[in-house]
Amino acid sequence: MNRGIRWVGYGIALAAVVFAVVLASRFGTDPGLVDSPLLGQPAPMFELPPLEGGETISLGDLEGEIVVVNFFASWCLQCRNEHADLTSTADAFADQGVTLVQIAYQESPPASLQYLEVAGRSPSALYLADPGSRTAIAYGVFGIPETFFIDEEGTVVGKIIGESDALTLGATIDAIKRGESPGQNVTGDTQQAPDG
Amino acid sequence: MSERLRNVVTIGLLVVMATVLVVLVATSPTDTDRVQAIGERIKCPVCQGESIANSPSPMARDMMGLVAERVADGGSDEAIVDELLASYSGAVLLDPPARGWTLLLWIAPLVALGAGAGVILWWRRHPVEPAPVTASDEVTGRRRLVPLLVLVGAFAGIVVVAGFFLQERAGPATGAADLAGEELDDVSNETMEAVIAANLDDPEVDGMRLALAERYYQAGDYRSAFPHYLEVAESDDATESQAVAALIRLGWMAWDGNAEVDAAVGLFDQALAIDAGSATARYLKAQVLWCGAAAYEQAAGLFEAVLSDPELPEESRDLVEADLAAVNSGASCT
Repeated sequence: MNRGIRWVGYGIALAAVVFAVVLASRFGTDPGLVDSPLLGQPAPMFELPPLEGGETISLGDLEGEIVVVNFFASWCLQCRNEHADLTSTADAFADQGVTLVQIAYQESPPASLQYLEVAGRSPSALYLADPGSRTAIAYGVFGIPETFFIDEEGTVVGKIIGESDALTLGATIDAIKRGESPGQNVTGDTQQAPDG
Repeated sequence: MSERLRNVVTIGLLVVMATVLVVLVATSPTDTDRVQAIGERIKCPVCQGESIANSPSPMARDMMGLVAERVADGGSDEAIVDELLASYSGAVLLDPPARGWTLLLWIAPLVALGAGAGVILWWRRHPVEPAPVTASDEVTGRRRLVPLLVLVGAFAGIVVVAGFFLQERAGPATGAADLAGEELDDVSNETMEAVIAANLDDPEVDGMRLALAERYYQAGDYRSAFPHYLEVAESDDATESQAVAALIRLGWMAWDGNAEVDAAVGLFDQALAIDAGSATARYLKAQVLWCGAAAYEQAAGLFEAVLSDPELPEESRDLVEADLAAVNSGASCT
């Protein structure tokens, strides 16, 4: 009987160790890297004003297109690095039913506009403000850059966390055009607002 | 019970009920309390373990603004939390939900407490008698080591597996582009255009330009192929073989697309100036001179030069010999 209870003790100790290791494995894991619950779901609708002001633009206006939603800011180094790639991708796919929507995150429209003036724009892309971060919250943004891919049916089928490049962006769009769901791709770190 | 006593009891009951009512009304949560309570359940996504109610970050303030908006619109606590869960998943909750796998986190301490209490109770009821020391104690000691070793081994295994798991999650970027090594078969022309446009200063971009131009060329889209071949031909970073390949294609497109004999010959000559032994440049120049300028002698000389190349493949040799025979017979090009 003593031997039996000893084994029960060892079993409990082992279970505790497994439990502790599983918990410990989560320490240091960036919660922003969990798979987005939006993948496979209808994309959250938005209706946002352009950075310059004027009439709002809604996701519904882009029905039937592949929409690439990128959250950016001038204070984000990774966003600066990927900007030329986003622009060239928007240009290359402009007549292929693909629209790039860049949404300013935690930044005033004048600051974003000033940055875009230097960084450049694609004539086919949309540059929008996000008052109150409502759209960033709806898309579950943890940090930027984060880029979401919405297929022609309006479903979120892809997400890139971190800095992207033209090949990654284009290959993701290519996959969507083939009817695939690229899912989530972690390419690097994201950044928080300086005072965040 | 006298009437007076009944009245006192009745009044007393009324006072108690009124007091309870007042207390209930006074302590019912206001909208502000609800916003605060919900905010304290939600983890600020840009902070370290802080709730949105307690974080000064602009993102947390915006999220509190959303919660306040939903409360004012009459949304229930759970509906508001569920809305955030739909965007952020359970990672946004400070306390894990008591359902699914995270239910284990709530149950595990109770189970551990119960198990511990059970073991203590069992030990108290079954005190262990000190065993007499025997000669077999050494063997028993070794036997006792076995479960300990099993435990240590299991722990090491778990650590290794957990380490592997962690390494996987924190692995390198999965989407980083490598212009030279990336498999381009599944990549569209648009993607290649985007990559080229975004990497104009990258010396390796000439390889992708050439690959893309070749796609356009093979599809008969000379208009799209032309600028890329031209960029490679004029690039300081292009290798000699890349420049020669681009010049040869430009030469052939000048003839085949626009019937420009002089331009085509000039481009073939540029290719031959870089690589004097290029059989392709020589052969195509001969074709253009024969078909476009009826320069039979020059064409024949070039065909002969091509045939003098000992490394010319047999199937190509047959083709060139047939062309040479046709030129020598004065036949027009077909």
